Amino acid sequence: MAPAPTLDVHPVNGPPAGEPSAGQKSQKQMTKAERRELQEKQRAAKAAKAAANAPNGKLGGKAAKELSALAGAPSKKTGRPSDAASKPPPPGLVKAAQAKAGQASLADQSARNQARGLLIFSHFGLPKPVSAAKGDIHPAIARLALQFSTFKITGANARCIATLTAFKTVIQDYVTPQNNTLSRHLMTYLSPQISHLVAARPMSITMGNAIRQLKLDISGSDIDLPEQDAKDVLFRKIDTYIRERIIIADQVIQETAGNKIKDGDIVLTYARSSVVEKVLLEAHASGREFSVIVVDSRPMLEGKRLLAVLSEAGIQCTYLLLPALGSVISEVSVVLVGAHSIHTNGAVYSRAGTALVAMMAKRHSVPVVVCCETYKFSENIQLDSFTKNELAPLGDLFSSFPNNKPREYLTLENQPHLEILNPLYDLTPPSCITAVVTEVGVIPPNAISSIPVALGRL
Amino acid sequence: MAPDPTPIPGHKAVETLVAKLRRRQIVGSRQAALETVLVLRQVVSKARFSNIQQLIVIIREAGRRLVEAQPKEHTVGNTVRRVLHNIREEYHSAVKVSAPTSSRNVYTISKFVLQGQPRKQTVGAPKSETTATLKEDDPDDPDSFARGIKPILMEAIQDVLDELETVYDNVSKTAKDHIHSDEIILTIGHSRTVEAFLKSAGHTRNYTVIVAETAPSYSGHDMARALSAAGISTFLVPDSSIYAIMSRVNKIILGAHAILANGGLVAITGSLLAATAARAHSTPVVVCAGQFKLTPLWNLYHDYGALDFADPSSVLGFEEGKLVERVDVVNPYYDYVGPELVDVFITNDGDHPPSSVYRLIKETYDDDDHEL
Repeated sequence: MAPAPTLDVHPVNGPPAGEPSAGQKSQKQMTKAERRELQEKQRAAKAAKAAANAPNGKLGGKAAKELSALAGAPSKKTGRPSDAASKPPPPGLVKAAQAKAGQASLADQSARNQARGLLIFSHFGLPKPVSAAKGDIHPAIARLALQFSTFKITGANARCIATLTAFKTVIQDYVTPQNNTLSRHLMTYLSPQISHLVAARPMSITMGNAIRQLKLDISGSDIDLPEQDAKDVLFRKIDTYIRERIIIADQVIQETAGNKIKDGDIVLTYARSSVVEKVLLEAHASGREFSVIVVDSRPMLEGKRLLAVLSEAGIQCTYLLLPALGSVISEVSVVLVGAHSIHTNGAVYSRAGTALVAMMAKRHSVPVVVCCETYKFSENIQLDSFTKNELAPLGDLFSSFPNNKPREYLTLENQPHLEILNPLYDLTPPSCITAVVTEVGVIPPNAISSIPVALGRL
Repeated sequence: MAPDPTPIPGHKAVETLVAKLRRRQIVGSRQAALETVLVLRQVVSKARFSNIQQLIVIIREAGRRLVEAQPKEHTVGNTVRRVLHNIREEYHSAVKVSAPTSSRNVYTISKFVLQGQPRKQTVGAPKSETTATLKEDDPDDPDSFARGIKPILMEAIQDVLDELETVYDNVSKTAKDHIHSDEIILTIGHSRTVEAFLKSAGHTRNYTVIVAETAPSYSGHDMARALSAAGISTFLVPDSSIYAIMSRVNKIILGAHAILANGGLVAITGSLLAATAARAHSTPVVVCAGQFKLTPLWNLYHDYGALDFADPSSVLGFEEGKLVERVDVVNPYYDYVGPELVDVFITNDGDHPPSSVYRLIKETYDDDDHEL
C-alpha cells in the first residue's frame, strides 16, 4: 500500500463550492493523483447537485447521494489510498447504488438533454445588462450606451451618427497627457469607451466602419499641429464622413430609388428603414401617386413609427403583420427594404423578417429593391443568420403585444423546458434580391463585391 | 333568413347549432364536427320517412342550414356529407343483402355508369339481421321502413362519431416513426392535432420543437406552454425569424383548418410563409389533420373574399389614435397553401401525399353531396 497522505483530504461528498481556501492551501502539498481525485469528487458533487435540481429528477436527493457515492467508487480504482482519505461507501450501498445507477443516470441524462436542447442556440448570447461604468467612461458615452441598451436609438444609420457625435464630445474633452502624442494616445483612450458601447449592445457594421475610419484619421493626424487644431481637423473629418457617406448618399438613393416608383404602384416595405422612409416621402413630395403597404412584426414592431410618418405626409397606407403577407403579395408592384449591412456575396443582413418578405416577393415575381449606402458594406461573408445575430431582451420591452390580448395568455418569461428567443436580424440570400440601390449606382446582388472598387475611384 | 316552410324534425337542435355557428361560439373544427354529428343524430332519430330518398332530403336540408350559418367552417359540411355517405352505404348493403354483391373493387366503365362512382368495398355481411324484411314505400305501414332501418343508420352515425372522437389517437399512431431523436421541428399556431402528435412522439423520443408565435392571435404561446408542460424542449420565436432558423430545422409540422380537393390546404395565417421558407430550404412539410377536414371544394382561393378576416384591433388598436382612421388594416385569419408545398398529410386514416387527396375525397363522400 502506498504511503498514507500527509494531510486531510475532504470526504466523498466533496468540498462544497464555497470552501476553496482549505482545498487550495493544501493543493500545493497534494500529489498529482490526489489533486485529480479531489477534482473528480468536486465534479461528482456538481453533477449530483445538477441531477438533484433537474425538474424531472423524481428520485430527488437520494439519487444525488447515490450518484456521488457512485462517483466516489471510481476514485477507488485509481489505486490511491482513498480508504484513509475518503470514507469508502460500504459494499452494500455500492450495490444498491449500482442498481439505481440506471435511474440516476436517466435523471442525469434527461437533465443533460434539457441542457443540450437549450444549448442549440447558446452561441447567440443573451444581452447582458449594462454594468456600472468602470474606469473613466465619458458621460456622453455612458448615456449613449444606456440609450442603446434600452433601444431608444435603433437603426444602423441612427446608431452610427449618434456614436460619431458622442465621440466628438469625447475628443473635445480629451487632453493629451505629457510625453505623448494625440495620434498615438487618443485611440487607446477611446478603446474602453468603445468596449462599453459594445457591452451595451453589439456593434453594428456601420459603427464598426465609422470607427475604423476614425482610427485611420487619428493615426494619420499631424504630430506638429497644436492640440485644438488637430482636434478640429478630426471634427471636420467626422462631419465630412457623416455628410458624404450618410446624408448625401441618402439623397442620391432617394432620387434613384424614387425613380423606380411609378404612378399607381403599390409599394411594400418591411419594418422601418430610415432610407426607405426618405425615399417614400421624397417620391410623394415630387407628386407621384402610389400607396404603401407596411408589413410589421415582433419583436420590435417598428413599422408603426413608419406608418405614423407616412400617413402624416398623406400617403395612403395599409398595415399588416408579417403572417398576413401571403394574402397581399400578389398585388404588390415593388418591394423596398433597407439593410443593416451588405456582404461581398450580395447577401443582405437586415431586420428579422426581411428574408421572408424577399422570399415571398421572389416567388410572386415582385422585384425586391434594397436601399443601402456604401458605408454599410462588410468584407466578410455570412452563410446563414446564425453566424452573427443579436437577441432582443425578454419581456414586453417594445409593447409589441396587442392590448386586447390579456397578458396571462402570453408567455413572456422562460419556463422549464421553454425558452424564448427573439433574434433581431436575419440574412437574405442574394438570390431573392433584384437590385441594390447605393449612391454609386444600382447594382445587382452578384456584383456587390465591386463596391470597394467603385469607392476607390471616388 | 326566411323561415323554412316545412320544419325538419329535430329542428330545435338544428336552430341552436345554427345560432352557435353564426355567433362563432364553437371553437375548433373538431368541436364543430362533433356537434354537427350529434345534431344529425337527433334529426335522424326523429325523422319520419318511408324511403331512403326522403331521409336524404331531410338531412341535406339540415346540412344546408348549418353550412349557410358558417360557410368558412368547412368541417360542418364535411360531417354532413360523411353522414350521408355512410347512410347510403349502409342502406345499399342492407337492401342488397339478398343479391350477391359483385361490386368488388373493380372499376369498370359499366360500374361507373351504373353506380356513378367507385364505392368502397363494404363488408359483405350486413350489420343487423332484420334487413331482409325492409320494404320501402309500404302503403299500409309507412313507418315500417323507417323503423327497420333506423338502428342501422344509428350505427352508421355512431361510426362517424367514434372516428371523430379517436382522431387524435389515430393521427398520433405513427408519430414516433416520423420524428427521430434530436430532431428540431418547427410548428406554428396551436393545432390540437399537432399537439397530440408531438406529445405522443415525446414519450419515446428526445427532440426539440420551435414554435412560431403566429401573430396576431399569438396561439403559438399556448402551444409552447402545452408542449413544455409535457416535457418537450421548446423554443418560442416570433414569426419574423422563421426564415432565419429554417436552416436548422429538420421538418415542419403544420395543422390544417381544411384540406381542399386539389391537395392544398387552408391553414392559419403564417402557414404559407413557413411552408414557402421550408421549400426554399428543401425541408419536408408535414400536415397533421383528421379526415373530417377533407373538403370536396377546391376553388376557394381565387378571390380575396375566400379569406376570413378577424378583428383588426389586434393589429392596430384604437390606442394608436389618429392612425386608425387613416390606415387600412388587413388581418386575415387563414392562408391558402398550395399542394406543391406539402409533402405528406398524416391523417387518422394513414399517410397520404397531396396528389392522392382527390381519391380520398371520392372514397369518403358521394358526388351528389358536393353541393348540399
